[in-house]
Amino acid sequence: MTVVHLQYYAQLREQAGRSGEQLATSAANVRQLYEELCARHDFTLAAEALKVAVNAQFCGWDHPLRDGDTIVFIPPVAGG
Amino acid sequence: MRFRLSGAELDTASLRDAMRHPGSGGFCSFEGWVRDSNEGREVDGLSYEAYAELAEAEGERILQEALARYGVTDARCVHRTGDLDVGGLAVWVGVSAAHRDEAFRACRYIIDEIKHRLPIWKKEHYVTGESDWVACTHVYREHEHELHHHHHAPHMAAPFVPDYSRQVRLREVGEAGQARLAASRVLVIGAGGLGCPVISYLAGAGVGTLGIVDGDRLDASNLHRQTLYDARDVGEPKAMLAAHRVAALNPSVQVRTWLDPLHAGNAVEVFGQFDLVIECTDDMRSRYLSSDAAVLSGTPLVLASVYQYEGQLQVIEPGAPCLRCLWPHEPAPEAVGSCVLSGVLGPVPGVLGAMQAMEALKILLDLPRPRDPALSLVNLLDLAITRLPIDAKQGCALQGGCRAMAQQALGRAQEEADIDLVFDSLEDAIEAGFQLVDLREAGEIAAEPLGITASRQIPATQILAHAAELAQGRQLLVCASGRRSAHAARLLRAEGLDGVHSLAGGLLALRVEG
Repeated sequence: MTVVHLQYYAQLREQAGRSGEQLATSAANVRQLYEELCARHDFTLAAEALKVAVNAQFCGWDHPLRDGDTIVFIPPVAGG
Repeated sequence: MRFRLSGAELDTASLRDAMRHPGSGGFCSFEGWVRDSNEGREVDGLSYEAYAELAEAEGERILQEALARYGVTDARCVHRTGDLDVGGLAVWVGVSAAHRDEAFRACRYIIDEIKHRLPIWKKEHYVTGESDWVACTHVYREHEHELHHHHHAPHMAAPFVPDYSRQVRLREVGEAGQARLAASRVLVIGAGGLGCPVISYLAGAGVGTLGIVDGDRLDASNLHRQTLYDARDVGEPKAMLAAHRVAALNPSVQVRTWLDPLHAGNAVEVFGQFDLVIECTDDMRSRYLSSDAAVLSGTPLVLASVYQYEGQLQVIEPGAPCLRCLWPHEPAPEAVGSCVLSGVLGPVPGVLGAMQAMEALKILLDLPRPRDPALSLVNLLDLAITRLPIDAKQGCALQGGCRAMAQQALGRAQEEADIDLVFDSLEDAIEAGFQLVDLREAGEIAAEPLGITASRQIPATQILAHAAELAQGRQLLVCASGRRSAHAARLLRAEGLDGVHSLAGGLLALRVEG
């Protein structure tokens, strides 16, 4: 199991009901992690609609997870 | 009332007769007419829209000032609202006085102040079929350059002189920086929650020209976050209200307004008229359009948007990664949320808008700043700003680059936007200056005649062979459902025939409507 820190923004924060959490996961990469989170929090946004960053760097969806990573999923927002 | 708005044509003879007074030895009038061009574009008409309550109060004030300032016998003004053709009388000013000198001066004062201060906006209708809202404001006022003519009104305050000393004191700003700001032209798209602080700070800072784009009217639900406005303004166009606030805050700022959103057909050209653009709308389409137009025009763009208690900020300087580098395609509306559906706390756009104003000033003044492109996430519940560097080698670079992506997107939007035109009847189209081209086969035409004479009948399959005949004027291609005409119009557009359009939905749509 890998322990990661998650930060949620916008709709994801709203749907998760928190702005972050620590999670032990068996997911190997960020795509698998997001799938796990979709089931856990009923996220409605498809991965394609999001940007993902690991340790404050944008990365692709096949980026592997390491213990202690901080992962941020970012949807585009349009309010003004 | 000496000042009046009129929706109907003006009768100058009766206006003039009302100015006769036994004590008057002369009468001077000024008439503003609609001319056939503006800034190099051919104009075939104008519409005026006024914030009536404010315009009447301000107009009356201007006339009272003219009476006091120049000691004239009578001064009156009527301004048109509504639609006017080229040559139409848009504004009439009349002054009668004991002597000609003060009559001339008062007349000049009134028209200058009317143009500068009145919340009246004109929409120019171009010969090309487009139209644009243009603010009737300018900065040059003759009386500010008059010497020794204050003796009629010793109580009049001296003209306002902006004082930028608090920012000029900054070593990085100084007089040179202030001069840079005065020479800068900044376009603010959206005069809402983000736009209000942006407009306030940039006007206060003395940015020379502010363009304001907003197609909305003020709603009472805007007031918790849109700090330029007050309860009396509800229902008025925000761009007009914002322009009026700017004039009140810093009269030395020149304001241009657009009361319709920009579109794929004009965004790049409008961006080209500014040194920097700040995108402050709550509209995803507008944000993508701004990103594309910034890339193609080489104009720096400051993007921000908010969601409930947080926001995102991205500065796109020329050559830097654009919005599409992060999210290549405009997301579906339900994926992005809005202030209406998701809610927002007033200070959130306030903070993000203030950050946008700061970024704009940093670019205009060339202040020290991080040069690596980034997306900043601002969470105001946690008081955290996360700055995520954007890798220029990812994103658009993998798909031909930002320029190619922007060009494609803009091209697509443009075709979709202005090829298909909706008309209630073919008579309306002819009246609007279109020539009808019937693309149906002879058999179809015989079975269902147009009921009106088409300029041409060209079967859709042969349209390209007739391209040369269609190069002049505006053509409306017509078929049964609008599919053939839309396709034919695209083929002709590709040949460079920009005046070709398609009747949306075809004759079927007319029948349904009619």
